[in-house]
Amino acid sequence: MRQEVFRMERVTYLDKGSKQLEDFNLQIYRGEIMGMIPISAHGLQALLQLMQTNMPLYDGHVFYCGERVNSWKSTRRSVNRIGVIDAHSRLVEHMTVTDNIFVLRQGFRQNIIKNRLLQRQLAPFMEDIGVQIPADTYVDKLSAFERVTVELLRAVVAGYRLIVLHEISTVINGDELAKLYEIMQHYAGQGFSFLYISLHLEEIMEVCDRVALFSNGRIQKVAQRTEMKSEIVQSYTMEFDKMVRYHIGQRNVGGREEKIVLSLSHISGEVLTDFTMKVYEGECLVVQNLDEQVLRDILSVLNGDGNLCEGELCMEGRPICPAYCKELALISADPTKTMVFQGMSYLDNLCMGLSRRVPGIWGNNRMKNSVRREYAEELGEEVFAIPVEALGEKQKYQLVYTRVLLQKPKVVVCVQPFRGADLTHRVFIWKMIEMLLDKGMAVVILTINLADSLSLADRLIRVSKEGIVQEVGKEAFGSLSVAAPWIDLYR
Amino acid sequence: MNNKSPIKKLLAVKGMGAALTAFVGLIIIYIAFGLINPAVFSSNNILNLLRSMSKYLLIGIAQSYVLITGNIDLSIGSMVAMSAMISATLMTLGTNPFLAVLVALLCCLVIGVINGILVGKFKLPPFIATLGTMFVGRGIAYMVNNNRNTDAIATGVGKETGDAFQNFFYYGTTAGIYNTFWIAIIMFVIFFFLLSKTRTGRHIYAIGSNIDAAKLSGVNVVATTTKTYLVSAVCSWVVGLILCAQAGMGNMEAGNMYEMYGVAAGVIGGVSPLGGTGILLGTLAGSAVWQTLENGLNMIGAQVGIQRLVIGVIVVVAVLLDVVLRSGQFSKKKKG
Repeated sequence: MRQEVFRMERVTYLDKGSKQLEDFNLQIYRGEIMGMIPISAHGLQALLQLMQTNMPLYDGHVFYCGERVNSWKSTRRSVNRIGVIDAHSRLVEHMTVTDNIFVLRQGFRQNIIKNRLLQRQLAPFMEDIGVQIPADTYVDKLSAFERVTVELLRAVVAGYRLIVLHEISTVINGDELAKLYEIMQHYAGQGFSFLYISLHLEEIMEVCDRVALFSNGRIQKVAQRTEMKSEIVQSYTMEFDKMVRYHIGQRNVGGREEKIVLSLSHISGEVLTDFTMKVYEGECLVVQNLDEQVLRDILSVLNGDGNLCEGELCMEGRPICPAYCKELALISADPTKTMVFQGMSYLDNLCMGLSRRVPGIWGNNRMKNSVRREYAEELGEEVFAIPVEALGEKQKYQLVYTRVLLQKPKVVVCVQPFRGADLTHRVFIWKMIEMLLDKGMAVVILTINLADSLSLADRLIRVSKEGIVQEVGKEAFGSLSVAAPWIDLYR
Repeated sequence: MNNKSPIKKLLAVKGMGAALTAFVGLIIIYIAFGLINPAVFSSNNILNLLRSMSKYLLIGIAQSYVLITGNIDLSIGSMVAMSAMISATLMTLGTNPFLAVLVALLCCLVIGVINGILVGKFKLPPFIATLGTMFVGRGIAYMVNNNRNTDAIATGVGKETGDAFQNFFYYGTTAGIYNTFWIAIIMFVIFFFLLSKTRTGRHIYAIGSNIDAAKLSGVNVVATTTKTYLVSAVCSWVVGLILCAQAGMGNMEAGNMYEMYGVAAGVIGGVSPLGGTGILLGTLAGSAVWQTLENGLNMIGAQVGIQRLVIGVIVVVAVLLDVVLRSGQFSKKKKG
């Protein structure tokens, strides 16, 4: 009989009066890799929080390792020994690998640290999974894959029986992901269980034994590995799929004059050396970074505050300082959290982009009201009355992209635009980026994961620490050996 | 396997680069002053330099502990004054010096615990919390002897005991070096070990580096923060006793601005004011740089105003250099 590790039974959970989980059921067995696709992510953060900490429930029970740890009847507010690994590091940066794995864990009782002993203790764990990370390396020097591995090892060493991996493919590339799957399967064989949360069924199919479709705080369906390709599972992503298929067929950039709008020449950063890249007018260029540090390097050049050691950034042949160039806009990752000015009104938020073209807008109420009138139909009149903190996710995405639209830049750089977005929001982001392209702007998507982004691309550049390793036009996407959805459409 | 050379291993330690830079700076400054005035190299001056440096080293340790957690302690100077005034007042009243210094220690620890709880538990901004306790501490230092400096401690405990107290903390020597320096070095070794080799030390770095990750890793943030403020209180207490022994009496204004000297000693030695990095070896170098500058400028006859100005500029340059080197902007080529 299969041994159960974790179970949530008829759980209803409210946070600040809002229902996050409703009649939620989830069961994970020992040694199982369970997949989860958030079709709508509402309630997902609450689920992760509830798995780690036993918060008061409105209804239901939570069981972990055969013990009832939380119930609507009584809550101990205790912490469950469940590890969560996601895009953001939970390691302490200025400390070494051994410190993070051994010293910073509950139950570490040695008062005096013996580094050599800890390093010796770590060695068999590393050998076990075939990874070589020097034990005395500081965490801020690790690559994203190494960081994820260290977090995983920390959970294993701490004896966590269930480890949650949330959207890991947004920080590590395909080859590293394959290695991570091997490690997961290795530990699953030893009785550790995993909950692998990803937006992409292709990833889930590669590694998971079962998949749960999560939507609005409920599990809509649980499918076995054999059922993953069934129409019922696929139907949940049908709308997005249809839209992408339609637009891939529609979008045509052929026959346009190739005019360079943005060029990066001989750029060197912390890891990147002599990197050169050109962006053509109106194109959608996807830059896949095979290493997270490369992405940071390119990003630091484009936002103007990085470690640009040498090289030049030009807009239509003129050298520019990106921070002050109104023809270049940048939408950072997780824009709903990083690009919304809390405390400012919706209209002021919207006008931030326009103010780069019209500096006097802040003293010109007529112009601001005209912007409001112009966009009220599209954005909805009600959003102007809501404090930006209270806006829904979709409204925040709309605010950020409309702000960029108002700025009318020639090039828009989107950093991991689909990261953290559920299926519903991905559809919306997809449409927003397409709207920018329709207005004639060139869009550069900086990403690690090609899923979603590739379907928008006219051209793909794959960059590693050594520079550009592959440049592919849309016509040759079919020849790419990557696990991305819709790749068959190009073949 | 890890087969780095010992030098590479040493340099790989976070904060070691900054500490070594500060040591190199120290040597350059010392030689420069010595070339201007050879009396700087005299053994007498070296001994005095070591003794004066000890105070800055102790408050540097105090402030570095707190800075590494990403906080600050503005009450150090007031605790120094409290320590000096309470112990001196009690001694002038004839109390046994052991008891007097223990009472002073207890008072400083209370301030340390209050700082720790306000910052760690109630999450008050450390600047504000310790600003409050700074005024409270200074107020207590004033009130202890009815808003007056104390008389000589020998008037209460007798000349012999008074001299013994003064010799132990300031005027006496062991192996030819002033006791003040030995006290500071012993405390340095203890706190260096605590910070670099123990679990508590790792927790201190963890809080300064990433407080959320530290909490998730089971670090007791309140207890660890309080411990750093307690270290600060203990160091301030000792400095208070040193100042009391130096003057042979309690001065209400003792330790004025010492909290800032502590910040300067730390940051010159590479302790990050943002928390998470820095080693006490750097603080040792920083306090030595600070005292050498003060001593050297004195020896060449620079006015007090000039001394302050030069020291201020050096503090800013040290931090600026650290920031610039870390961000790599030093090698950045500007394009026209």
